Amino acid sequence: MAPHGLSPEELTRYARQIGPGVLSSEGQVRLKRSTALVSRTGGMGGPAAMALVMAGVGRVIIAHGGTLISPDLNRQTLGSELILGRARAPHFAEALRAMNRFVTVEAVDHEPTDEEASQLAAEADIVLSCAPTFEERLRLNAAACQAGVPLVDAAQWGMTGTLVVVEPGLTACLRCLYPEKPPFEEMFPVVGAISSAIGALAALEAIKILSGTGNSLAGRLWMIDGYNCRSSMITLQRDPDCSCCGALARGPS
Amino acid sequence: MRVRVVLSGRNYAAAQSLPSELDLPEGCSLDEALRVVSGMLPPGQGLPDSCLLAVSGTHLGSVRKHRTCGLKEGDELVLIAPVAGG
Repeated sequence: MAPHGLSPEELTRYARQIGPGVLSSEGQVRLKRSTALVSRTGGMGGPAAMALVMAGVGRVIIAHGGTLISPDLNRQTLGSELILGRARAPHFAEALRAMNRFVTVEAVDHEPTDEEASQLAAEADIVLSCAPTFEERLRLNAAACQAGVPLVDAAQWGMTGTLVVVEPGLTACLRCLYPEKPPFEEMFPVVGAISSAIGALAALEAIKILSGTGNSLAGRLWMIDGYNCRSSMITLQRDPDCSCCGALARGPS
Repeated sequence: MRVRVVLSGRNYAAAQSLPSELDLPEGCSLDEALRVVSGMLPPGQGLPDSCLLAVSGTHLGSVRKHRTCGLKEGDELVLIAPVAGG
């Protein structure tokens, strides 16, 4: 084992991502020592989890309930026709483990409850919210804020998506944006390409934060409109009276 | 004055008929601009209360509750109807 904590095999595996413009050796070691929670691991969460595992995040906890159905396969890259009708979480975890033997993948076979989300967030260094409902996203937001760990929130619709990074106590949280839960449409339209794009960008934000590399999206919303080939970057404002983060340590908003 | 309008998120497809720029009176307020945009959307496809508002990269709140401001030439009004999808 090299002094910096990476084996020769790991250095070979991550050779393409260590160097100028990508990660430092120290950053790679920080990834190895990090834990990321990804819930759920469908259209966006699957590609996000894949990117985290391939990058060498040491421990990845995935959460996703239910069984795989045919409409999932337009976007859920961890799925396949071989597991239609089968429980998603264990099969998704197996697929992730096959990508990188140097990381640990743990699976939760249901969407975490409030208590479970808090417990899981407390074990993690970052939370990736890739869930389809506002209820779940706000739950993960609350858990991340309570645990004091960054949240990367990903959302999609049609050929568009949004990314938000929350630094609890420093930036706006999701509840600042959505003090009341917006309506949700279960059969939302989506093209798998935008799912993968948004999920991969969510993972990139997590990798940057965990490794201490680059400039994160903290405190901003990135809207990506693939339908019209345009994007917008918005600086978010904290709500000082936010029911979720209002009481956390104040800092620049 | 001309102000760019970007409408995204849920039901963005319904906004394809909107022009990318609006001609608005000098000194037009954000609320006046929102009324103009709402009036141009198809019936039943109005801006939801939870729609996020931003002017030239600064988040101002939602359609329901936001800081008001005056618009100026070249501003970009971004409206993002909340989306969730996994």
